[in-house]
Amino acid sequence: MDEQYDVIVVGTGLTECILSGLLSVDGKKVLHMDRNDYYGGESASLNLTQLYRKFRPGQEPPPELGRDRDYNIDLIPKFMMASGELVKMLTHTDVTRYLEFKQISGSYVYRDGQISKVPASEFEAVRSPLMRLFEKRRAKKFFEYMQNWREDDPSTHQGIDLNSVPMSKVYEKFGLESGTQDFIGHAMALYLNESYLSRPAREAYERIILYISSVARYGKSPYIYPLYGLGELPQGFARLSAIYGGTYMLDKPVEEIVYDSNGQVCGVRSGDQIAKTKQVIGDPSYFPGKVQKVGKVVRAICLLKHPIPNTDDVDSIQLVIPQNQVNRKHDIYIASVSSSHNVCAKDYYLAIVSTIVETDNPEAEIKPGLDLLGTIDEKFICICDIEKPIEDGCKDQVFISCSYDASSHFGTVCDDVKDIYRRVTGKDLVLKQRLRQEEEQREIGET
Amino acid sequence: MASRKKVLLKVIILGDSGVGKTSLMNQYVNKKFSNQYKATIGADFLTKEVMVDDRLVTMQIWDTAGQERFQSLGVAFYRGADCCVLVYDVNNAKSFETLDSWRDEFLIQASPRDPENFPFVVLGNKIDMEESKRMVSQKRAMTWCQSKGNIPYFETSAKEAINVEQAFQTIAKNALQQETDQDFYSDLPDPIKIDSETSRYEGCGC
Repeated sequence: MDEQYDVIVVGTGLTECILSGLLSVDGKKVLHMDRNDYYGGESASLNLTQLYRKFRPGQEPPPELGRDRDYNIDLIPKFMMASGELVKMLTHTDVTRYLEFKQISGSYVYRDGQISKVPASEFEAVRSPLMRLFEKRRAKKFFEYMQNWREDDPSTHQGIDLNSVPMSKVYEKFGLESGTQDFIGHAMALYLNESYLSRPAREAYERIILYISSVARYGKSPYIYPLYGLGELPQGFARLSAIYGGTYMLDKPVEEIVYDSNGQVCGVRSGDQIAKTKQVIGDPSYFPGKVQKVGKVVRAICLLKHPIPNTDDVDSIQLVIPQNQVNRKHDIYIASVSSSHNVCAKDYYLAIVSTIVETDNPEAEIKPGLDLLGTIDEKFICICDIEKPIEDGCKDQVFISCSYDASSHFGTVCDDVKDIYRRVTGKDLVLKQRLRQEEEQREIGET
Repeated sequence: MASRKKVLLKVIILGDSGVGKTSLMNQYVNKKFSNQYKATIGADFLTKEVMVDDRLVTMQIWDTAGQERFQSLGVAFYRGADCCVLVYDVNNAKSFETLDSWRDEFLIQASPRDPENFPFVVLGNKIDMEESKRMVSQKRAMTWCQSKGNIPYFETSAKEAINVEQAFQTIAKNALQQETDQDFYSDLPDPIKIDSETSRYEGCGC
């Protein structure tokens, strides 16, 4: 490892692995290290042994849970928006060649003590109990407006400038009831709290369109999910990096980030070896003195032997409990997958209940979510700090990613990737289409 | 299932860096050999259609992409393998001695349903070098293979295309055996295909 690299990346979370992949494709010489003996860091999917080692040290997984190999349990609950940025990154880099995906079967919302499906088609919308008849007509007008709106065509604006008018005014214009606003804002635009109402509507517009176009892509819900768990994603991008010359070292303690006399980073020390570099990228856990805490998330990883009650017995769902339904400031999310996604043994279901911590008793805060799950076989609670870098890294060339937040999909992760890429390279990220496997093989064969 | 699934066999090649894993793949699939050693850059997986017992199957042969150098392959690489090829260099004793740990690593990471009967194939590569350089005898290698449940053994040269075709024919055959043993009971819907070209935009009208 005593060599000179362009970039050393520490931690193999998804953000770091995407960046490694992209920078390696750009021709940079990358060294990528992780203190763990597995890929993924905080965004790993763990088998039973790894899960128990993390949450119940010294305790063996009970034998009735079945084989270790059948479990790939995510630590961070997120789904992929079918038309989202992560899917673009996966298809352009053709990392999809290493992965298989399934749809998440439904997106649900909790209201007035009941769970209802967020309509995924006009047919479902007509039958949905979420709105009464006249409200449905108003909502239809609202969605038509959203889908027809074009920035450069004032005739589609109906006198509203989405770039300046707050979202609350847009709801008002269409006369939408607060319950409808709730499901649009929280179950479709996926806002975790109400602050968006007073911000310009453009952002909510983008989010609603992303949701609708993602649903349109595969039909059941806006979400897709990789077989064997989210931990496959960082590994796919790590392989991309390796194929383009990236060097990988797992199980490698990172003992010191080394700086030169000007305070610029110049290396990373592990044991008595120092790898030289001009730039370092890493997750917050490797830089305790350089990050600040901006909040906390509580997550309960639950193992069930049944689908979540009142959700049509489907194999996977997202369920949003909007904050005002349970007198909170932030929504509670439930993300559930099952053996059909190769993440747990047959007939088991995984559900992660999560929210942003508001009190001194985080576990009590997720109770409304836990209460919807029915009998819980096993439960693992984690309360994690959300951290952000204090500086942007331009001075010392150390670029730190943000912790995985409480949002339901990878939008903010991709924003972080693009932002770090810009700071590291000085250029905006432009995704280039990599050759397909068959084309690549043909080229190798010809040279 | 009404129609017989199109058979795709995943084959992974393991062994120390520099034993010729990429060259063997390249010789088999592209009939090419390059004397220049570059620690694997650009080799991903290669595919080849082969006939096995009158059945056309697609073999997908996965290279380690250099991630074996510091034992950092990761569980995704091993997932769903139908056959594991262990390669050593007959002129390098250490590369033979590490076969044990590569085999163990595979069994832990891939954790096949039936580890006792999982198909491995061992290749002793670089037999084109002069005899005086040889460090591992055929007898020693065969004894090891027998002790691990009679693993088929081939001595190969990726450079001179010796035994490469034969070895991969056995690999395909044994991988297919493994495939038919398991993957036919699945009643789950097929995974969806993600492709940038399928992207379309339609409103849901809800």
